[in-house]
Amino acid sequence: MQRDVGGLPLAPALRARLVAAGFQTAQELLETGPCGLSKEIGISKEEALEALQVVRQECHGDAARTAGGSGATRKCTALELLEEEQAQGFIITFCSALDNILGGGVQLTKITEICGAPGVGKTQLCMQLAVDVQIPECFGGVAGEAVFIDTEGSFMVDRVVDIATACVQHCQLIAEAHQEEDHLKALETFCLESILSHIYYFRCRDYIELLAQVYLLPDFLSEHSKVRLVVVDGIAFPFRHDFEDLSLRTRLLNGLAQQLIIIANDHKSAVVLTNQMTTRIGQSQSILVPALGWQHCTNHRVRRSQLYHITLHLMASEMCNLQLSLKMQKILK
Amino acid sequence: MVVLRAGLCPGLTEEMIQLLRANGIRTVVDFVSSDLEDVAQKCSLSYKALVAVRRVLLAQFSAFPANGADLYEELKSSTAILPTGSPSLDQLLDSGLYTGEVTELMGAPGSGKTQVCLGIAASVSLSLKQHVVFLDSTGGFTASRVYQMLRARAEDEEEQAALQRIQVVRVFDIYEMLSALQELRDRLSQQVVSSMGPLKIVVIDSVSAVIYPLLGGKQSEGLAIMMQLARELKTLAREFSLAVVVTNQVTRDSSTGPLKPALGRSWSFVPSTRVLLERKEATWEKATTQRVASLAKSLRQPTGIQVELDTG
Repeated sequence: MQRDVGGLPLAPALRARLVAAGFQTAQELLETGPCGLSKEIGISKEEALEALQVVRQECHGDAARTAGGSGATRKCTALELLEEEQAQGFIITFCSALDNILGGGVQLTKITEICGAPGVGKTQLCMQLAVDVQIPECFGGVAGEAVFIDTEGSFMVDRVVDIATACVQHCQLIAEAHQEEDHLKALETFCLESILSHIYYFRCRDYIELLAQVYLLPDFLSEHSKVRLVVVDGIAFPFRHDFEDLSLRTRLLNGLAQQLIIIANDHKSAVVLTNQMTTRIGQSQSILVPALGWQHCTNHRVRRSQLYHITLHLMASEMCNLQLSLKMQKILK
Repeated sequence: MVVLRAGLCPGLTEEMIQLLRANGIRTVVDFVSSDLEDVAQKCSLSYKALVAVRRVLLAQFSAFPANGADLYEELKSSTAILPTGSPSLDQLLDSGLYTGEVTELMGAPGSGKTQVCLGIAASVSLSLKQHVVFLDSTGGFTASRVYQMLRARAEDEEEQAALQRIQVVRVFDIYEMLSALQELRDRLSQQVVSSMGPLKIVVIDSVSAVIYPLLGGKQSEGLAIMMQLARELKTLAREFSLAVVVTNQVTRDSSTGPLKPALGRSWSFVPSTRVLLERKEATWEKATTQRVASLAKSLRQPTGIQVELDTG
């Protein structure tokens, strides 16, 4: 396959030199070889060798793709995708109304954003999800692990202990009611210690640490392949303060969003973000809108407006809006 | 800017190239624009051989003007107009999506761009029974939603076949997108039929998601890559008579300014038609699938016309 030189992931200066020297396809580069290349462009032999290695990797990757190896690639028909989607589990939130609106729970391979005013319960919901993702499959869960990236420092271990204990009790009640073999076996491993040990907690204090953590996450996830939930609690916080260069902020956020989408897709996990709200002052009224203005990156958005009320806005599949009033106690255990 | 190489045309040998290079003639452009008598003297090559090589190179690399009438006849026979599945949108686009052109849908988040793209894919696959290539860079392609749309329009048996004709490629990076487009171009030029039937439309959702991280600041790499992508899309559309649909975001100059399409001035020359999608009421509170589509740029219709759209 002929890859155009302009589309290869090389350093921009090198790419510009290659194009100026008249190389058009990757094939020509490979034919010239490192010595010829370094002579024609005027770069050192090591640089030429490195560049050719990158080109070779790209071409091999393409060859593997066209040869029909669709395992690691992301090409499929809509029918196959439909079957995948229907077989996919959801992470239930233990609030049936919320689960109903989300279409069964928090969806895997999608990004869900929870926004709301301070104190409304976003972190609580995230902690609940970090416990719920570990529910064994026989009880209706996805039996996965969770990664919790905390930027605001609002993760309370005591509260997670409460939530986990309540969740285990709930499952025990179900097991007693149904008295099935696999329920009892699953309960042996589903206990407080195992739940807590399967929540991987990272604390990021500023935006550089957050970016680094998210870009390093794919390596971590390939070692811990059972992770099914990545929570970033407070995506807005590191970016809202002391950021002079707004265009840099937009660029970084967009890069971050793409990286999160890649993580959600490749590792079949749900990504949940919490966002702060800011006020948009209009002519006659001011409304609360999610901060950072980066609404285009998420697939689903959940808004918690006030205590005991949940307002939900879906942006992808169902396009419906419902307003509910629910008590906090019913939602969280 | 093609470099002279042995075998580029008969008569161009390795020794010739070395001699030419020693005299500063490296590319085809250098060769055809130089004075051949001069070159023959300096390089001690035969003048006749040089003229013959020049003739072949010109035939190979120059562009040929075409007669307007011939071009019109060719366009009439090769252009197809694809329905988008929504009669009001078809009306806005002068009866549908034209092949050979790039059409852009832009809008704020939640304005329905992905829904319209899914609708287009469903409609082309179902009613025209043609293949669709959907490049998804936001993870927003939901097969169950397409299935829902198909169920609303078709009988039982056809949905599965229609879903199979939509090929989804998930690319989350600009280089992956360029690679996927080049692979598509190779497949089309080699006319590998296999699972790809007649292809008339490529939908890319969204283009700005992969380019935004590269634009801005002091790096000019973003613009170069963006133009590379633009060239790929236009080549695909023109050479293979495909309708290319892309989606784009919108930005504002200030918090109260009017909405304008993202990706800047350079990109604004790439699509031939631009449609802006907006929610009908600018509030989050009401549940609505109604959208307003207005024409921002078009080759055939006056801009500014608006229609109402139902993405439900």
